[in-house]
Amino acid sequence: MSSKNPRERQMLESIYSMIALVFILVTCVDLCDAATVVDVYRLIQYDISGVPFGSRFATLNHHAGSLHFAPGADLSRTVLVIPVRELNITFVKEYISQRKPLGGLLFLLPQMFNFGNREAATEGKYQVREKELMNTVLAELERLLIHANIPYPVYFAFEDDDIDAVLADVKRSDVSGQPATATTGGYKLVVSAPEPKKIVSPSITNIQGWLPGLKADGDPNQLPTIAIVASYDTFGTAPALSVGSDSNGSGVVALLELARLFSLLYSNPKTRGRYNLLFGLTSGGPYNYNGTHKWLRSFDQRQRESIDYAICLNSIGSWDNELWIHVSKPPENAFIKQIFEGFSTVAEELGFEVGLKHKKINISNPRVAWEHEQFSKLRVTAATLSELSAAPELLESTGGLSDSRHFINETAIVRSIKLVAESIARHIYGRQGKNIQIFADNTSLAVNSPYIRSWVDLLSKTPRVAPFLSKNDPFVTALKKELEDHTREVNVHHEVLDGMFTLYDSTKAKLNIYQVASVTFDLLLLLVLGSYLITLFTFLVITTRGLDDLISLFRRPPSRKVKTA
Amino acid sequence: MTLFHFFNCAILTFGPHAVYYSATPLSEYDTLGTSVKAALVYLGTALVKLVCLATFLKVSENDSFDPYQELLHALIGFIDVAGLYFALTQLTHRNISQNHKFQAVGLGWAFADSVLHRLAPLWVGSRGLEFTWDYILQGLEANANLVFSISLAALGSLMWLRKNKPKTLIPIIYACAGILATMPSIMSYLRRGLGWHFPKVVGFELFTSLMMAFISLQLFSACQRPSS
Repeated sequence: MSSKNPRERQMLESIYSMIALVFILVTCVDLCDAATVVDVYRLIQYDISGVPFGSRFATLNHHAGSLHFAPGADLSRTVLVIPVRELNITFVKEYISQRKPLGGLLFLLPQMFNFGNREAATEGKYQVREKELMNTVLAELERLLIHANIPYPVYFAFEDDDIDAVLADVKRSDVSGQPATATTGGYKLVVSAPEPKKIVSPSITNIQGWLPGLKADGDPNQLPTIAIVASYDTFGTAPALSVGSDSNGSGVVALLELARLFSLLYSNPKTRGRYNLLFGLTSGGPYNYNGTHKWLRSFDQRQRESIDYAICLNSIGSWDNELWIHVSKPPENAFIKQIFEGFSTVAEELGFEVGLKHKKINISNPRVAWEHEQFSKLRVTAATLSELSAAPELLESTGGLSDSRHFINETAIVRSIKLVAESIARHIYGRQGKNIQIFADNTSLAVNSPYIRSWVDLLSKTPRVAPFLSKNDPFVTALKKELEDHTREVNVHHEVLDGMFTLYDSTKAKLNIYQVASVTFDLLLLLVLGSYLITLFTFLVITTRGLDDLISLFRRPPSRKVKTA
Repeated sequence: MTLFHFFNCAILTFGPHAVYYSATPLSEYDTLGTSVKAALVYLGTALVKLVCLATFLKVSENDSFDPYQELLHALIGFIDVAGLYFALTQLTHRNISQNHKFQAVGLGWAFADSVLHRLAPLWVGSRGLEFTWDYILQGLEANANLVFSISLAALGSLMWLRKNKPKTLIPIIYACAGILATMPSIMSYLRRGLGWHFPKVVGFELFTSLMMAFISLQLFSACQRPSS
C-alpha cells in the first residue's frame, strides 16, 4: 500500500498540472470575437515648443453614442460617432472649445476619400457640388482639430455597411431615450492601442539631383545653376491618411517630369545648355521649410553664389486659369522683372495668366510661409510658383484629409510643367521673347501625361508625414531611384527635424465593436434559470419520491431526546 | 459581466444533470459509480465514432445536405447505440434496480455528451464582450439531450434487459428506439436541408424530447405491469 501512494500522488499531480496547463492555454485564446472590426486612424498629436495640440490619448473603451443624445446627458463615458456628411461644425466647436468632458470622438468619412479602396476611390457618383461642400466642411473641421488640445481620443474611419448598421442602431436607441451605458446594453467601442510615445530625433531626408551643363573648353569659371525645388512631405489631421495630392504631390510630380524633359535635352551635348540644373526634393515643408534650410546650409558659399535663381513648386494641381509667382525681393528688382516677364510671356502663349505677389521676409520671425524665403534669407534669388494667392498659415495647406485624388486636375499640372519648362529653357538658350515652343506637343519632348498620372496616383496613396518616414522608407528610395534615372549625380542628405516640433506615434489602430447586453439582462437570466432549476427539482422529487419527501426536506430532523427515553 | 454570462449558461447546460441526480432516488442509492462508468463508455464510443468519421466521410465544401453522406453519418451514429448497449449490459453494476440503472446510465451518458461537446465552446466563446443568444440555445439543447438520453436508455433497458415483454409492444419499442437513435441525423437534415435557424431547431428538439419521454414512460410502465 505504501508503495502505491507516492505513485498515486505523482499521477494525481501530473493530472492536476495537465488540467492547469489546459486552462492556461484556453484562457490565452484571443477573445477578440467582435461583431465588427474596423480600421481607424488617429488624430495627430504634436507639441510646438512644448505646447500640446491634437488628441492626447489613444486607448478607447466606451459605449457608442450618436448626435441624437438627450440634452444634458452625461457623455464622459460615451464615444460620439459622427458621420462627416451630417456634421454640425458649431456643435463640435462648442464641445472642444468649452472642453466639455467626452469619452471620445469617431468621425466617419465617405468612402471616396479611401485611397486604399480601389473601387470606391474611382467612383464618380458624387457630383461636383457635393464634393466641394464636403471639401469646405472637412477643411473647417481639420483647422479646428489641429489647433485644439483634446484630452480624449479622436479617430477617423471610413463609412461601410457594418459601421452604418451600428450607427443606425445607436441612433434608434438614442432617439427612444435610452442612452447606452453599462446598465442598459448597446454597443461598446474598444481600441487597444499602446500609449503614444514621442518620436525621438525624427529624420527628414532631402534628395538632390544635378544635371551638369556644357562647360566650354578652357573656361575656368563655374557654370551658373538654375534650381527647381519641391517639398514632398505632408502634415494633416490624420497622419495615416495625409496623402497631400495637391500639397505638395503636384509639385513633386512636376519636378520629376521637368527632370525627365531636361535630361532628354541634356543627353545630347549639342543641345546641352550652359547652365547646370539642380533638382531638389526637400522634406520638412510644413515645419517652416526646415529641410530646405538645412539643405541650403550644406552647400558651400561658392555653390550658393552660382545659383542664378531657384523656382519652388507648391500646389499646382487644381487651378483653372491663374497662377501666382510669389517673391520676397521687391518687384522692381531687375532679376525678378526678368524672371516674371519670361513666365508671363509663356503663360500668355499657353492661354492663362500669371500674377506676381510680393511678401517681405522678416529675418527674426521663425515663421517661413513659402519655400523661396529660405533661399532669400541666404541671398539667393528665388520665387515660388503656386495656385494659392495668399501665404498659408502654419500647418495649413500641407496636405490634409480634403486633399485627395479627386481634387486634382491633371491638365493643370501639365500646363504648369509646360510653363516652367519653356520659361527656363528660353532663359538657358537665350530665346526670351521669341515665339518658339521647345516642349511642343506630339514631339519627343512633349509632356508625358501617363507618366504624370501614374505618379499622381502613387502619391495619392502614400501618406508622407516626415517623422513617420524612416531613413530607408521605400517611397524615399523610389524618389531617389527616379531622380537617378534622369539626373547625373544624386545625393541624399539625412537630417534631424528641429526640436520645435515633436510628433507622437500610434497613428493607426483597429476598432472592435461589440454588442453588449446590459447587467439587468444577466440578472434577469439568472433569476429565470434559478427558478427553472428549482421547479425542475420539485417536479422530479414529487414524481419520483412523492410529495412527502419534498416536505420532509424542509422539516427539521426529529430531536434525539426521544431515543434516550 | 461576461463571466456572469458564462456562469448563467454553464448552470443552464450542466445544472439539470446535477438537479436530476439529487432530486431523484439516484442520490439515495449512491449510483454515482454507474454514471461515471457510463460517461467513460461514452468517451470511448465518441473516440471510435471520430475515427470512423475521419476514415469514411468526405469533407463537403458547402453546407448543403448530401443524402449519401448523411446516411453514412447515421450508420456511424448507431455506434452510439452499441455503446449504450455495452454500458447497460456488459458493465458490472452494484445491485440497483433496473429502474435506477437506466436512469443512472442515461444521466452519465448525457453529462459526458454535454461536457465534451459544449464546455469548450462555452468557455472560449461566452466570456467575450460580444453578446449572442447561441450559448443559451446551446444550454437548452443540452437539456433536450438529457431527456433524449434517458428515454433512449429506458428503451434500451427494455429491449436488452427485460425478458418478458408484451408481444404487441415490441415493435413500438424498437420503432421509438430507432427514432431516438437517428435523432442527430434528423437534426442535421432540418438545419441543412430545410435551412431552419438554430432557435427553431432547438424548439423542435425540446418538443420532441418531451414527447418521446412521455411515450417511453408509457411503454416502460406498460411493460412493468405484467411482472409486478
